Amino acid sequence: MEEQQILLPSKIDNTDDCSCEEWSDSSSCSSYYSDSDSSIPEWESSISSTGELLFIDCDPVVSHTNVHTEKENLNFSKENSARHSTRSKFLKLLRRRDSKRRSKRYVKSQDASTNPDTNKVKFQDHEEGEIREVILNIDQRNRKLGRRATLVESILGLTVSTLSDGCRIMVAGFIPDSEAAKQKNIKIGDWLKCVNDIELTYQNLNSVLEQVSSENEVVLRLQRVAGIEVTKNPPINELSNQSNFVQQLVNSKADEINIISSILCEHSVGVLYINTESISETGPEFEGILYCYPRPFEKNLLCSSRGVFITLNHLLHEITQCKPQVTSFLWNNRLSHVAYTSFGNKLLLFMLPDNRASIKEILLENKEITRMLEFMYQTIDGCFESDLFKEQLDHFFSRFFTRLLCSGLWPKAEQSVELFNITSKAQQQGPQQFEDVLSVAHSLILPDEAQMQIDSALTELESSDYREWNEEPLDCQRLFTFLGSALYHSGYLLASHLVHGDLIDIHIFCRQQGLFHLSRTEPVRTLVLWREVFPLSCNRNIENQSNSTVVPEGRRYLLVVGSGKDILAALMEAGGCTEPAEDNMGPDAFYVEEAQATLAHLQDIGISNLADHWIANNPGLQVAIPEIPIKRKTDFLGTISFSKTSYNTKETASPIQKKQEVTSILKRRTPDQSTLSSASSFYSLADDNSEIHSEDSLSQGGYSERSESDEPVLGRRATREKRNYMESDEESDIEDYRDGSYSNSSYDITELRQSLLAETADIKPQYLTAGNENVLFHYVQLDTIEGILLCPPENQYNSKTLENVLSNFRKCALQIHGVFQNTLRFKQMLSQDMAKSVINKSLIAIKEYGVLFECTATDEPSRKYGKLTYWVIGRLFYVPHPRELYICYQDTIPQNIIEIAFKLGISD
Amino acid sequence: MSAHVVCITSGGGLPIFTRKKGNAETLPFSMIGSLNGVHMFAKAQRLELLNSLMEDHCAVWKEFHDSILLIGISSGCTIQVLNKLLESVFNAMILVVGIDAIKAQRNIERLKRELRLCYPIVDRLLDSLDCGDTTNKHSSDLIMMVETILCTENHLIRIVLESYTECVDSVYSCILIHGKIAVATESWWDLHPDEIKLLSLLATIENTTNSKDIPVFLPHKSPNVAYRFVAVMLIPNVQICCLCGPTPLLEEIEHSAAQCFKSTLELLESALRCHPRNFPHSLDAEFGILGILLISIKYGKYMISRHPTRTSAKPSGNGFHRLDILRTFYYQAVMGALVPDNWENISTSSNKREQSKKADKKEERNVKKSNKMECTVNTETYWCSEYHKCHAIIVDDNVLCVLYNSTIPTYSMRFITPRVLKTLATDKQLCW
Repeated sequence: MEEQQILLPSKIDNTDDCSCEEWSDSSSCSSYYSDSDSSIPEWESSISSTGELLFIDCDPVVSHTNVHTEKENLNFSKENSARHSTRSKFLKLLRRRDSKRRSKRYVKSQDASTNPDTNKVKFQDHEEGEIREVILNIDQRNRKLGRRATLVESILGLTVSTLSDGCRIMVAGFIPDSEAAKQKNIKIGDWLKCVNDIELTYQNLNSVLEQVSSENEVVLRLQRVAGIEVTKNPPINELSNQSNFVQQLVNSKADEINIISSILCEHSVGVLYINTESISETGPEFEGILYCYPRPFEKNLLCSSRGVFITLNHLLHEITQCKPQVTSFLWNNRLSHVAYTSFGNKLLLFMLPDNRASIKEILLENKEITRMLEFMYQTIDGCFESDLFKEQLDHFFSRFFTRLLCSGLWPKAEQSVELFNITSKAQQQGPQQFEDVLSVAHSLILPDEAQMQIDSALTELESSDYREWNEEPLDCQRLFTFLGSALYHSGYLLASHLVHGDLIDIHIFCRQQGLFHLSRTEPVRTLVLWREVFPLSCNRNIENQSNSTVVPEGRRYLLVVGSGKDILAALMEAGGCTEPAEDNMGPDAFYVEEAQATLAHLQDIGISNLADHWIANNPGLQVAIPEIPIKRKTDFLGTISFSKTSYNTKETASPIQKKQEVTSILKRRTPDQSTLSSASSFYSLADDNSEIHSEDSLSQGGYSERSESDEPVLGRRATREKRNYMESDEESDIEDYRDGSYSNSSYDITELRQSLLAETADIKPQYLTAGNENVLFHYVQLDTIEGILLCPPENQYNSKTLENVLSNFRKCALQIHGVFQNTLRFKQMLSQDMAKSVINKSLIAIKEYGVLFECTATDEPSRKYGKLTYWVIGRLFYVPHPRELYICYQDTIPQNIIEIAFKLGISD
Repeated sequence: MSAHVVCITSGGGLPIFTRKKGNAETLPFSMIGSLNGVHMFAKAQRLELLNSLMEDHCAVWKEFHDSILLIGISSGCTIQVLNKLLESVFNAMILVVGIDAIKAQRNIERLKRELRLCYPIVDRLLDSLDCGDTTNKHSSDLIMMVETILCTENHLIRIVLESYTECVDSVYSCILIHGKIAVATESWWDLHPDEIKLLSLLATIENTTNSKDIPVFLPHKSPNVAYRFVAVMLIPNVQICCLCGPTPLLEEIEHSAAQCFKSTLELLESALRCHPRNFPHSLDAEFGILGILLISIKYGKYMISRHPTRTSAKPSGNGFHRLDILRTFYYQAVMGALVPDNWENISTSSNKREQSKKADKKEERNVKKSNKMECTVNTETYWCSEYHKCHAIIVDDNVLCVLYNSTIPTYSMRFITPRVLKTLATDKQLCW
């Protein structure tokens, strides 16, 4: 109540220049604005005239490892949670207040982060200044600094920060007693230009240091930055906060696009949309071209040779009665492909070089781009024919093609998307792709408890039920209905409440627009995106589906909000049961804030941390790291992979988590690990564990019960598990369930977060493959109907063998996927078409396809090594809807892929 | 279920011949002209048009020596196979008229007339496409490889063949049973696989006379100088072929053939009984095996059988269907994966074994972006369909593809296939 009263005046201020009537109209909505401090949202100025919005705000100084951010987050939410101890049914209320408070705190934390250390100095830099070279011995002992230490700290003994452009590295301090601290020539505030003649930027810092980490000596080149000015609040240029990538996303500078365009003309990339009907001999030279990129027309390969493709499209159809899909040709001795898509008389051509996209890949890319454009602009016609979108399309395609030519892939952070040396990069063979070219969302399945929390938070957002919150009766119609929403964490789908087709649409959109890449690599503080979209479920192709259910008139909008690594995408509808939509409608601050609050709530209860933890440790289904076996030691592989996993677990765990981890390691002790550790250490661990538990039980009310009941079981269970792993699995599942319901019955945010993490600890590593050792290297479960893909999170191990194995896996899986399409196509074929079809009859019923690879070391010490043999197997399931499973495992004992699919199914 | 091959002079765009297979209509001239025109226009734009892919069809353009353009359009098969077909068709053209006549093109009408000889060969080559129609009686043809027959008598026949080869003053000779090579001399196997294949086809087509004496240009060995290819029919369906110089005369060759094989006629007759099965009755495959395909990468030869088990001896129309499945399996899953693409270039050189291994590695390395540490090869692959299972393994230079009943457990295929391969490849009598 009080809030409302405070709120209203500020609203009036804000809408001063509005007429009174208008004000009263909008007041019912705008009075919900809970942000009392700043009623104008920071993104408001970025809204374009068409109502579209893309606002990205990043933290200017970036912490180097995610461990740091995690820690900050944890502290932050700890203090936060200490204030609230309300029961779950008040969570919602809490959340509202919370969001308001945060906005204040955000301002504070923003200050803190722009100036992380008040006694830290910032320097204005000038180009002149003496350059010095310093030879630094790398002391291998310094590696002991602890796992928290960043690479710079552990290798060079320096702490660094960035200069005001956010890119160049500045020496910010020394690690006490380090080699660097003793060097007189290194001064705080120096610009660290090069290490061993490799130029340093913030982006390549870690990768460069990794390269030199094994050497004993490095040469640092430093430059004294003149004109020192010590400031507490340095004037940070708006743009300087943004990395290249963010700038690319947000800005579309015409001159930059022109430069890119002219560079791209030298490569076999391009997109062309032509009207094939209106072409006549007498017309002007480039008649019928509706859209073309890169430009100018004269230099565009597709454009100048469009006659070939128009003729082929027509001719081959006449000869064979089916439409051409792709044509390959050599240009400057480089193999390239052009994919066709026909829309009536109009033809869309899409060209990529073979070393970046094979025939299979270009077909998938083409499909995905077309679908994304339809999602964004309703029809391909509407998208290319209107001049309104030309700039947007140019911007998109320039980014798309440069990405494809430079780095090929989104996901890895190191692959910075840069324009220089594009020509040399474009010559290289692109990496094999499988998971990333399919139009499916890689989903991460969190424990049930966390899943439930996410679901309930999303449902609450979607329900838009504000009665409890607002005691005044509502007398206005809502602006929007939520059609659904989805939550992502660094590109992994955590939960989706969308119709399958819409999920695929939104996923494709976010991926191709680089939002996932953004959330993975950039320190995003706020991301808000708003635009009108045309989801598949809402009359996109009316003429195609005449008998489908009629969807009410209305317009749909996509709202994406992001913070940190999390992204929440929501599909909203105006019209229908809500207020009819206006043209060029911009985002409504209230709904944006609602979504942001939901996201903040989810981060608060620890979903974000949990997902991070989950991605890093993969506690559920285990995959092994392939190694070429050394002869005589056949069981080497299994033990290595296991110890690596547990090591990694410890590394990223927060203090509280760590204690839990001790338990978890004990619990998940499997036969082969118990052989690793001696009996004595086993007991000492058990002792520690009991102490920790009593500690825990003091601090956490509801939790003690559980640990007490657990304690006596521990020894017995451990031995029992040692005897029979599978048997105990079943029983403990029931216990887990009971535990879950305990923690569920009464909790506040702290408890909730604890229990979420605790549940992680309880998850036992599961093996999909039969046999004692884990021989599974990779799995992909593909569901193209639901648009979901399940596979282990991206690994962090730097193993060449693994890279090799995965590359083979992807190549092979794509081939298998192609073969399965025949089977699916035949299943869907009508019986009268079957006789007419010229499909190869030997290919119509294939449901499983396997390939055995044999990998040997070819270097001279190869006698020491044996062979690594592994299977890549794909399997197609039809019922209830088509699903494909691909696995890659070491060839030891025969595995049954149906059994694996079943195990994977129940582990979901 | 259709395939077209069009041959056009690349300079003038004059059509030289078109051949087709299946129930499609002949391509009208306007379409042939457009197909050529597209390629020509692309060339002017500095593009070399290679191929186009449709849902079930593919089209391939291939230009040879800047003088001949071959265009192939087919349903059901892959671009890789169609490419090989066009290469083979061009080789067949060389076989008949020699490379010089094709390059020079002094008199197109004469060239057209001379090339008519190769139509039957081209038609047979078209049969090796896996269009997926089961009515094809030549489902056993594999592209760029020669079919063989494994008889228990082979080792005995070989001795006789060697003495015959000396008689006709040659080193190249072989014995064909139903058009499949039973035995051949070492030098015969040293020829390029496609040459061996084309010669076998040449011997079997249009068998109106007992003996043939045709001048041939070997596309790889001697594209400019013609050899004499002499095929003598000893008894029906058994032919003795040899390559020789201007001497001896055909009568002399016929005479020495009769002399040398006089005493071995019985052997040949018993070898003939091997025919539809293609490998000896004494070897019985395990229950559940519906067909086998044995391939030697080194020599580019294969043996395919659709009645491997004696119990299923009842004649059934399914047999051809089985061959089709095996062939599609080979084209789609084995060729290019288990068998590296460039093996035929290697097989002509002397130190074959070493070379082919090296080439394997080289190929793999290219794929793996010059990963120096490790090299990966495929050694096994399988398909499970609703009705059948296919399994292939490669051991040294031999590939064995086996078609199983769908009731066979997948894991047991891995035990049966190597056993079958071992039996077939190590049997000295069969001369594999």
